[in-house]
Amino acid sequence: MTPAAARRLVVRTPLRVRNPVLFTLVITAAIALALTGFVDEAPNRLLSGRPIALLPAAGAPATAGLAALLALLLLAALMPAGAALHRAVAAASGLLLLLALAAVGAAARHLAAAAPPAVRIAPGAGFWLLAGCAALALADALQRLSAGPALALLAAAAIGGVAAVLALAGVFDALSLVHEYVSRRRLFAAALLRHLVLVAASVGPALVLGTPLGLAAARWRRLSGPLFAVLGAVQTIPSIALFALLIAPLAALARAAPALAAWGVAGIGVAPAIIALFVYALLPIVRNTAAGVLGVDAGVIEAARGMGLSPRQIFWKIELPLALPLILAGLRIVTVQTIGLAVVAALIGAGGLGRFVFEGLGAYALDLVLLGALPVVFLALIADFVFGAMSAALRRRVQP
Amino acid sequence: MRSLAAALALLAALLPPAAMPAGSAGAAIVVSSKIDTEGALLGNMILELLAARGLPVDNRLALGPTAILRAAILSKAIDLYPEYTGNGAFFFHRENDPAWRDWRRGYELVKKLDWEKNRLVWLTPAPADNSWVIAVRRDVARRHHLKTMEDFARYINGGGYIKLAASAEFVESPAALPAFEKTYGFHLSDRQLVTLAGGNTAATERAAAEGMAGVNAAMAYGTDGALAALGLLALADDKGAEIVYAPAPVVRAAVLARYPAIAPALARLFATLTLGRLQRLNAEIAVAGKSAAAVAAAYLRAGHFLR
Repeated sequence: MTPAAARRLVVRTPLRVRNPVLFTLVITAAIALALTGFVDEAPNRLLSGRPIALLPAAGAPATAGLAALLALLLLAALMPAGAALHRAVAAASGLLLLLALAAVGAAARHLAAAAPPAVRIAPGAGFWLLAGCAALALADALQRLSAGPALALLAAAAIGGVAAVLALAGVFDALSLVHEYVSRRRLFAAALLRHLVLVAASVGPALVLGTPLGLAAARWRRLSGPLFAVLGAVQTIPSIALFALLIAPLAALARAAPALAAWGVAGIGVAPAIIALFVYALLPIVRNTAAGVLGVDAGVIEAARGMGLSPRQIFWKIELPLALPLILAGLRIVTVQTIGLAVVAALIGAGGLGRFVFEGLGAYALDLVLLGALPVVFLALIADFVFGAMSAALRRRVQP
Repeated sequence: MRSLAAALALLAALLPPAAMPAGSAGAAIVVSSKIDTEGALLGNMILELLAARGLPVDNRLALGPTAILRAAILSKAIDLYPEYTGNGAFFFHRENDPAWRDWRRGYELVKKLDWEKNRLVWLTPAPADNSWVIAVRRDVARRHHLKTMEDFARYINGGGYIKLAASAEFVESPAALPAFEKTYGFHLSDRQLVTLAGGNTAATERAAAEGMAGVNAAMAYGTDGALAALGLLALADDKGAEIVYAPAPVVRAAVLARYPAIAPALARLFATLTLGRLQRLNAEIAVAGKSAAAVAAAYLRAGHFLR
């Protein structure tokens, strides 16, 4: 074959990497499965686990299924793009995620059956990387389809629904994380509710107070300097220190005013946690509100004034609607941030999911840490998704 | 605006149970505990036992670390929680008083000080000591015949290999490692120590058990349940170098006056909590992963405390 003919063949061949994102994800997942453990088996709750590879852990059928799906996705990364292909990739990625979940549950059950009761089986690095790559491939495919929030929600609901059915059917019962959950079933429900209350009770008032403050800061520049300086300074105090700093003044306040104490104001517990989280939540809300109002095009306001709108009408009809996307973006940041920060509140007796994190850290029981941390991650993702969908809907309404 | 009002109403409906006033919730005894394994165990035992005696209790277990519990009971936010007698040395800044090194005298001292200053009552302590110990790997202990701290000093002074994982506090606090060194006549150099800033016993014990970075000994607590499961042996402090940490319920005097039945009920329970029993019960939580409430309830049932 002449060099020219060879070159022609290479150029004409349909097999080249057309979707580098998907290609990288598939290769990463394959390398992870080949080199790391799919599950970790530890002799008891406190010792480190020994990694067990996919094939000995999950058996031949599950291994073959995962390999087939990965091969299909690899092929898809080499094919010309198109809506049908993206849909197929989304479906295959979702299936890969679910199969990985089912395989890790089955592997744990299989290994636990032959092991003494103290043995703990947890998902290994291979599983986490595979699941992460599958989720990213799914998100990438949905993005390439320019799917709206409705379709993304549908995909998340479908995967969540199947995962829930698997969980109810007991597929995951042999995993160490589920052991931790089962022995704390009632505590978990209470901690989750308390976590949500902490977030709602701090972000809600921060929104109610922060929005007018942001508007005021945008209107009167002399106010904005000192206001942002104070809020910025508060933001730099480490959360655990702020919680601790509030103990003494609040305890004194409760002693001085028993009526407040009767409402739950105390140096420890929920009150200082909500106050600290509220203060942290203020800065992003105030700053985004001010930026939103200041960002409104001066020409638009000039035009409105020319049309004879009063300042009040300009504010309600022009400035506020145009600033709304940025205000919402601030709320999105704040909610995600508060969901994470509320973990630390467990150290001052406020409860929430952080109690599992710190109990687990104290006992070096990493499954218990995960029992607290994973729901926090999911809550943050859900909040991010909900606010993201809201601002997308808003953008469509404001700019038709 | 209506949806905002609805959201606020929902918030108001959710808040009261969460922000329940601590001290003033009727006349219920607010029972609390530290956010660790033994705190959860003892707290659940106290809660369950008092409830079984028909006393009104309010569950505030796993409140936080020692400083938070102490601040809470002093500010009357909680009424009752298990504390260690040896911590009196730090509450009252009397680290050098030799009384803390004796189980009975340490208890008498903290009982007297807390009554006089804060009107807190220390009830009967458990016949156990959860003080700092040095634990070595069982294979090392067997090979070099290590059972006590005197054996340990002899081994080190004879040039034996040791690498001790410990928290910075353990290494630096005069009441901890320096007290061991002075009493038994040995010295650990920086090369024989792995210092974990803010490290807890779970981290140091695991380092020794898994031999991370050549570590073969760990700072540990006497009643730790994990030692046996991790293949570690606690060396006996026969000369009493360390402060004694006996667990005892601490209750506010006003609450005890209202419910005097608390004292005899808890005294009977704590008298049964020996070192070996606490180690076994802690292990059921820390190693086997059972819930503290279940382990506590099973112990109370087996000991016929719930009648």
